[in-house]
Amino acid sequence: MAKRTSYFPELKRNWWLKHPYFKKYMAREATVLPLVFFLLCLLAGLYSLLQGAESWQGWLTFMQSPLVIAVNALAFIASLFHAWTFFQLFPRVMPLRAGGRTLPPNLMVLGQWFGVVVVMVLAAWIFMRGL
Amino acid sequence: MTTKRLSIQRYLPEQGNNTPYWQDFDIPFDDSTSVLDALNYVKEELDGSLSYRWSCRMAICGSCGVMVNNTPKLGCQSFLRDYEGPVKIAPLAHFPVEKDLIIDMGLFLDHLAAVQPYLINDSRLINDSEEGTETFKQTPAQMEKYKQFAGCINCGLCYSACPQFGLNPEFLGPAALTLAHRYNLDSRDQGKKQRMPQMNREEGVWSCTFVGFCSEVCPKNVDPAAAVNQGKVESAKDMLIGIFKG
Amino acid sequence: MNKGTSLNNDASENMRRSDEPIWWGLFSAGGVCFAVFVPAAILFIALLIPAGIVGPDALRFERAHSMVFSLPGLIFIGMVICLPLFHAAHRIRHGLHDLKLGTEHLNKVATYGGAALLSVLALVGFAIGIL
Ligand code: SF4
Ligand code: FES
Repeated sequence: MAKRTSYFPELKRNWWLKHPYFKKYMAREATVLPLVFFLLCLLAGLYSLLQGAESWQGWLTFMQSPLVIAVNALAFIASLFHAWTFFQLFPRVMPLRAGGRTLPPNLMVLGQWFGVVVVMVLAAWIFMRGL
Repeated sequence: MTTKRLSIQRYLPEQGNNTPYWQDFDIPFDDSTSVLDALNYVKEELDGSLSYRWSCRMAICGSCGVMVNNTPKLGCQSFLRDYEGPVKIAPLAHFPVEKDLIIDMGLFLDHLAAVQPYLINDSRLINDSEEGTETFKQTPAQMEKYKQFAGCINCGLCYSACPQFGLNPEFLGPAALTLAHRYNLDSRDQGKKQRMPQMNREEGVWSCTFVGFCSEVCPKNVDPAAAVNQGKVESAKDMLIGIFKG
Repeated sequence: MNKGTSLNNDASENMRRSDEPIWWGLFSAGGVCFAVFVPAAILFIALLIPAGIVGPDALRFERAHSMVFSLPGLIFIGMVICLPLFHAAHRIRHGLHDLKLGTEHLNKVATYGGAALLSVLALVGFAIGIL
């Protein structure tokens, strides 16, 4: 056989900048970055709660600083974007069958958003009761 | 007739040129001119040295895949009318390029073969009585389970759309894993046990991060991403069963 | 040319079963929590209450203390802190692979190890609080 002279470019680490679809994929993956910030806030809150009322007050003040609110606002948007992508994947990974038919994916997506709303209402009740 | 500018990636190693380069052509086109028609026009009228693959012209043989503006497409199924401005045509990504738009699909074919994509069923061999020549029976409901995943034409577009295959060519990839899942779902098949070890590997279903672009580009709406991720559920179950059986 | 070695269907090294089902399971569970529970948590704890839209009394020290150090509090820690941590770890690990950063083994230890460490921290904090 003649010497092979094929050309095989290696995928560079910036491959995801080359197509809008891949940018959206990377945005989806990056939703966890502001999430991690929020989770660290919660952990800090847990430990300041353990240290008494004064440090708890300190944590509440920390949560009020504009930069923290800004990053957490980003985390909120990220969580909704994540939900939007994640809910669409679910019916494809685990198609549910009822009465010999696959449930329409849109119905499953809608059902999951309904869950988000229920949790929001529940949270509103938990945080606002007796105020 | 208006013309459209085509930029085609050329690679001609036998002429001593070991780096690919771009060559522009102006192609007369109308509403019915496909990318494949345009390539044929180049070869017949402008530059006979251009190499590319094609056969059926009707999205059946799966041989005319190319990157059109960085997206994997079947040349015969993409039309110049749908592109504004110049059109960039390159060989399918993530495969070694042999010449111009011709890639070496060997890796893809190896991965396909690795999952044993055919009916595995010994029952017809037990006694070579008349049953041996009988066809398998299958109800429409049983067929429905795998039908969507059976439409693959082995064009390889999904491999060019998959960054995980691009990052690691050992990854079995969308079409192979889809075929594995398709046969595992087939009521006539008994080969799941033989296929699971391939799917369970790191380079089996577990290299996938559900980018999803493979399903986007698939010309047959096979939805390989769904199949691969259903394969993850199967592989996870397989692991659990393995643990309980000890 | 052909780099494919995956053809041999034997029990060789490259036929090893991946441990990914464990991480993928945690990732999926965490993904559901991130999509369904985390948006409400961020909205109230990190946005509405710090911004003063919901009364500041909502997270008064005694109230927060009794809410967190209870059974619902434990469920909250599991669903809003621990599982999302593993979800984030999984995405960061694969994101590093996508960007061709680090090595497979190191990334795994750092990300899942980090998630495990922070989860233990949260659970220890909870345990101290109820004792
Ligand atoms: S799954 Fe679709 S894109 Fe992939 S090889 Fe088959 S037909 Fe082509
Ligand atoms: S020429 Fe056969 S699929 Fe395009």
